[in-house]
Amino acid sequence: MSEKIEISMFEVVGSSLCVASSDGEKIFERLKTTLEADRNVVLSFHNVTTLTSAFLNSAIGQLYGQFSEEKIRALLKVEDADQDDLVLLKSVVDNAKLYFKNKDRYNRVFQEALNNEA
Amino acid sequence: MKFNLPPIRRDYVSFETLANLYAQTKESVFEDIVIDMSATNWFDADMCAAFGAILYSLGNRLNKVNIIHIHQKVETILSKNGFLSHYGRVAIPDRWGTTIPYQRFEVEDDHFFANYIEDELINRSELPVMSQELLKKFRASIFEIFSNAVLHSRTDLGIFSCGQFFPAKDQLDFTVVDLGIGFCENIKDYTGQQFSPEDAITWATKKGHTTKEDSLPGGLGLKLLIDFIDLNGGCIQIASDAGYWQRQKRKTKTQRLNCPFPGTVVSIEIKTDDPHTYSLASELKAEDIF
Repeated sequence: MSEKIEISMFEVVGSSLCVASSDGEKIFERLKTTLEADRNVVLSFHNVTTLTSAFLNSAIGQLYGQFSEEKIRALLKVEDADQDDLVLLKSVVDNAKLYFKNKDRYNRVFQEALNNEA
Repeated sequence: MKFNLPPIRRDYVSFETLANLYAQTKESVFEDIVIDMSATNWFDADMCAAFGAILYSLGNRLNKVNIIHIHQKVETILSKNGFLSHYGRVAIPDRWGTTIPYQRFEVEDDHFFANYIEDELINRSELPVMSQELLKKFRASIFEIFSNAVLHSRTDLGIFSCGQFFPAKDQLDFTVVDLGIGFCENIKDYTGQQFSPEDAITWATKKGHTTKEDSLPGGLGLKLLIDFIDLNGGCIQIASDAGYWQRQKRKTKTQRLNCPFPGTVVSIEIKTDDPHTYSLASELKAEDIF
């Protein structure tokens, strides 16, 4: 049994355009299975030309609703990602952490902001 | 029923015109609807997405749509982008390659939409030379808009898109429309809070605000799009329900439409001669992500 699992986004999606939330779901299912099995996993961005937050929310963001930050950090690695893809992924990850930590309070914050702007 | 269509531009007045068209015809079933374009001496081509969406909803209620008295110049534009071929005219070749065709997609057509963008926009030699960074940002922005419509609209009538390039102005316009429930009702269903239609759009543009299902975080797509438009110097307009929202030169303007638009329109204007770099100064390492 090999030490780590490698998942190619290009291969799973079947395209260099990783843009659809439904495609992100396919990545999520694979990542979820590997993390549940406590296996190390490398997610490759090789050949990916376009990414959206919708795709990454679905593929990676929702992992934070099921696994601890520590577990994700310990087992999941990314490779072959462009700098701007990493920036987008970091935004998605930070947003997801905040979302799952504070889901109930999340939407009330805006009402306060809106009231302050008025 | 006859509706006299004034000039259509990508602006508040024209969003209101199209919302009025919907308001006057929304009860129509099995009727003949005549759209008289005698006064339509200008038509911003990408607005075909909004116009086409409303006409599609009319057809969906088995009304017969007849478009009459089209100005020659307008007819040429709307024939080149394929719009009028949906209404009995013949599509004509786009010799200069400045149109991005009018197209309707089912919500599950993510891959079809992706191919449309690649074939009709990214891989076309006639379109402007943009920096690789700008092209990547622009392409991602369009997909963010489409994903928003897929994830939030709850429509079964499809998603409509159309675009136009203006070489002399170094400008590219692109509009995506859905005939879904709109931001206002979506947010009310999700948060229980009743915002005004324009505040609902403002809510949705804030980072982290989403109406996706509970297990899925979101709320970045519109924020990323706005950040990009701010840097690029273009413009973004959103009409949803009776709300109108515009962002240009880093300033936001909201207004109320007299009648609600039956869904959501997101329209962007991109400066294609944008020299900005979009990379961050400090480098992010892969091991610092999670």
